[in-house]
Amino acid sequence: MKSLDQISKDSVTSSRVDIKKIKEKSIKYLLFISSITAIIVIFSIIIFLLKDAIPLFDIVNLWDFLAGGRWNPTGKIPLYGTFSLIVGTLMVTLGAMVIAIPLSIGSAIFISEIASEKIRSFIKPAIELLAGIPSVVYGFFGLIILTDWLRVTFDQPTGESLIAGSILLGIMAIPTITSVAEDAINAVPRHYKEGSLALGATRWQTISKVIAPSALSGITAAIILGIGRAVGETMAVMMVCGNPPYGLIPEPLWDVFTPVKTLTATLGIEMGEVAFLSNHYHALFGIAILLLSITFIINISATVILDRLKQKHVASGQDKKKKKRKKFFSKDIQRKIVSIIKPLLILFALYILYLMFNLVMTAVIVISIILITFAYKKIDEKKREKVAFGGLFACIIVILTFLGIILFYIISNGIGALSWEFLTQEPSDAGVAGGIFPAIIGTLYLVAGAIAIALPIGVGAATYLVEYTREGKVTKIIRTGADLLNGTPSIVFGLFGFAFLVLALGFGRSLIAGQITLAFMIIPIIIRTTEEALKSVPQSMREGSFALGATRWQTISKVVLPPAAPGVITGAILGIGRAAGETAPLLFTAAAFSGIIPGSLFDPVNSLPYHLFVLSTNIPGSKVNQAGTALVLLILVLGLYLIAIIIRNYYQKTMKW
Amino acid sequence: MPTNNNLKMEVKNLDLWYDTKQAIKKVNMPVYENKITAIIGPSGCGKSTLLRCMNRMNDIIDKCRVEGEIVLDSKNVYSKNYDVFELRKRVGMVFQKPNPFPKSIYENIAYAPRIHGIKNKKKLDRIVEQCLKDAFIWEEVEDRLEQSAMGLSGGQQQRLCIARALSIEPDIILMDEPCSALDPIATAKIEDLMRILVKDYTVVIVTHNMQQAARVSDFTAYMYLGELIEFGKTKQIFENPKEELTEKYITGRFG
Repeated sequence: MKSLDQISKDSVTSSRVDIKKIKEKSIKYLLFISSITAIIVIFSIIIFLLKDAIPLFDIVNLWDFLAGGRWNPTGKIPLYGTFSLIVGTLMVTLGAMVIAIPLSIGSAIFISEIASEKIRSFIKPAIELLAGIPSVVYGFFGLIILTDWLRVTFDQPTGESLIAGSILLGIMAIPTITSVAEDAINAVPRHYKEGSLALGATRWQTISKVIAPSALSGITAAIILGIGRAVGETMAVMMVCGNPPYGLIPEPLWDVFTPVKTLTATLGIEMGEVAFLSNHYHALFGIAILLLSITFIINISATVILDRLKQKHVASGQDKKKKKRKKFFSKDIQRKIVSIIKPLLILFALYILYLMFNLVMTAVIVISIILITFAYKKIDEKKREKVAFGGLFACIIVILTFLGIILFYIISNGIGALSWEFLTQEPSDAGVAGGIFPAIIGTLYLVAGAIAIALPIGVGAATYLVEYTREGKVTKIIRTGADLLNGTPSIVFGLFGFAFLVLALGFGRSLIAGQITLAFMIIPIIIRTTEEALKSVPQSMREGSFALGATRWQTISKVVLPPAAPGVITGAILGIGRAAGETAPLLFTAAAFSGIIPGSLFDPVNSLPYHLFVLSTNIPGSKVNQAGTALVLLILVLGLYLIAIIIRNYYQKTMKW
Repeated sequence: MPTNNNLKMEVKNLDLWYDTKQAIKKVNMPVYENKITAIIGPSGCGKSTLLRCMNRMNDIIDKCRVEGEIVLDSKNVYSKNYDVFELRKRVGMVFQKPNPFPKSIYENIAYAPRIHGIKNKKKLDRIVEQCLKDAFIWEEVEDRLEQSAMGLSGGQQQRLCIARALSIEPDIILMDEPCSALDPIATAKIEDLMRILVKDYTVVIVTHNMQQAARVSDFTAYMYLGELIEFGKTKQIFENPKEELTEKYITGRFG
């Protein structure tokens, strides 16, 4: 017989157990819901864009839309051909890659293989700062410095051209490519390197013949992601590429001083003034779908490559069971094909050179290339190594010079405008005079709202991914969703926010529409950094907690999350920095060029990047205030990035498991 | 020591620090030509570190500082103008974990001759075949030279790595616990191979396995806490150790 006392104790514990169980379950479901947010958003984007794009195809067929050379939706006979815009996008991206790929890969190799710890700890943050500069600030720099310099130096009628866009996009893509390529190089097992060095290979031979080939697929993925970054960029290209109204295909194709119009720029310029539900409106959504498809393809292929890479490194040595992939060509035939294609390619390159310059110039280039290769073959390995390392070091110097020039111009131009009045007064005379107080407050409102929405969802999603599921189909789908969201061009978020929040939910151009749109954008950043932070907490800590009878949520909240907090905070700050610098998503969802501070969530709002954009493109005579706004924005965003970097580095050094 | 042992390499008063921690303390040790020298001792005694000094692989570790000499054919390999790449060509190395490159079997062997300037395809073919034969793996791989080396078994990978080390025609081959990741059958094959290789090469092996040292080596060095406790003929070390520490270790009283 149990005593009464005993029974009551039992019932208390059992009801406690029930409550515990319910609590555990509900937390799990809550986290699961936040983890699928990214996918829901992706699908909503597709659905909302399609809904508004499909009516277009009542009037044009897909072929005319893609292959038609002229874009003139407002003409007497409206034309909806996007071919020139596609070519514009591709040419600008191609030019950007010509600049970014060698510099990025060179510096990635330098950082991971050659630089000492000290130099590395200086270069890496510098390149990350390059990633932190808001695109509207790049655009502003391009507009006042770069295009002017191009016009004068190359004696052109205008500097607003393909090459200006390529240079800016190239610089902007450098951090993306460098960081992914560096990860790929670091992932090459250390023993490959030792094996090569032990055979008497120089460091450069080891890098070029063993490390780089092993990292090749990762480097490819890095390049693909860089292309994605360049294709999706709006503000910078919109401000420096000239934007001929009907689109323009350079004639000849390599005339880099032609003004071009890209897909993103078309959306950025025309979406604001289009008649609602007109054919033009539907056509713009068609462009958005096109853009989204391109970036989807790009991001999915990068993800597939990186996934395969991960499996390869895990399974190496024991992949006997793996099916032998049948090769389409045997080695011999491959060699033969290469030997035929090679001279053809060389002839083609010569022809292009001849067309671009003239016979003498071509001869000079060819002879110098031959001389250089000859000289390179002549010298011994150790000198070759010096030459190669010098080249890699030069890549770093060029990148740092870019950073230095941009920072120098923004700071030296803007410093004169800074004053207490500038920061605290309202703008007057259309922004030519007065301050930027409402824009600062607007930015703070937008960012605060965005992070308040994105942080719980992002952390919840990451917690679910790392702590509640095994790696499998579900996590893969969720991660792919987050990756796709991360790669979606910011202007597409803008259109989605417009169609979904402004129109469908009836928010109108408002603070809240802007906050939610920005939140969608930064969720992937927070998921990724939180995931990394959680994964860095050793499994033994969780086991220790479980072994004491703790539930999963108790373990997570008391044991796992506290040491992961610095990582989460870093992610949050990076998200804030990104949100504070974005312009394109706000163009049609929240932005108003006004001096009024919003009184409610449903009022439109000004922000620093938008203010800068309007001043520098539409308000002549506002030079001083443009420069001041750019500087304030730069300080705000880079300040946030610096804090994030410092927190991360501090904890990376002090945390030792 | 009997006079038929020619000195190939000699470690003289070697000290090594990782940052502030001293990993090797005043080690003196000879390496005799065409003999197998085994270095044994408990984990962390510095035996691998000592081995990695012999081809200066420790150079690639940050904050690693070396004092003293290692003399190879009467030249100090740690002297300032000694060419480290030349050294590593003469002193080959086989690592604890088989580490073939993620290339084909053929390319793994051809790698070193190529980087050292051999371009002739026929000559390369000959080198590849000879090295694979010398490492007794030729018959197992001759019909799949173009396939990835990653598809081989652990033991085959390790013999491939030995073949790769032979491709630079070294004088000395260093082996850093070459069998610790292998099963007993693969281990036996590698040990047989070592006995054959030693006719043409000088071998230094670090091993955790005392039976292996007793089975294959001519000379044995026993290290403890960074110091060389005893060096002598293998037979003498195992049957009649002079030092008490050595005796304790080989009789399994600690280690």
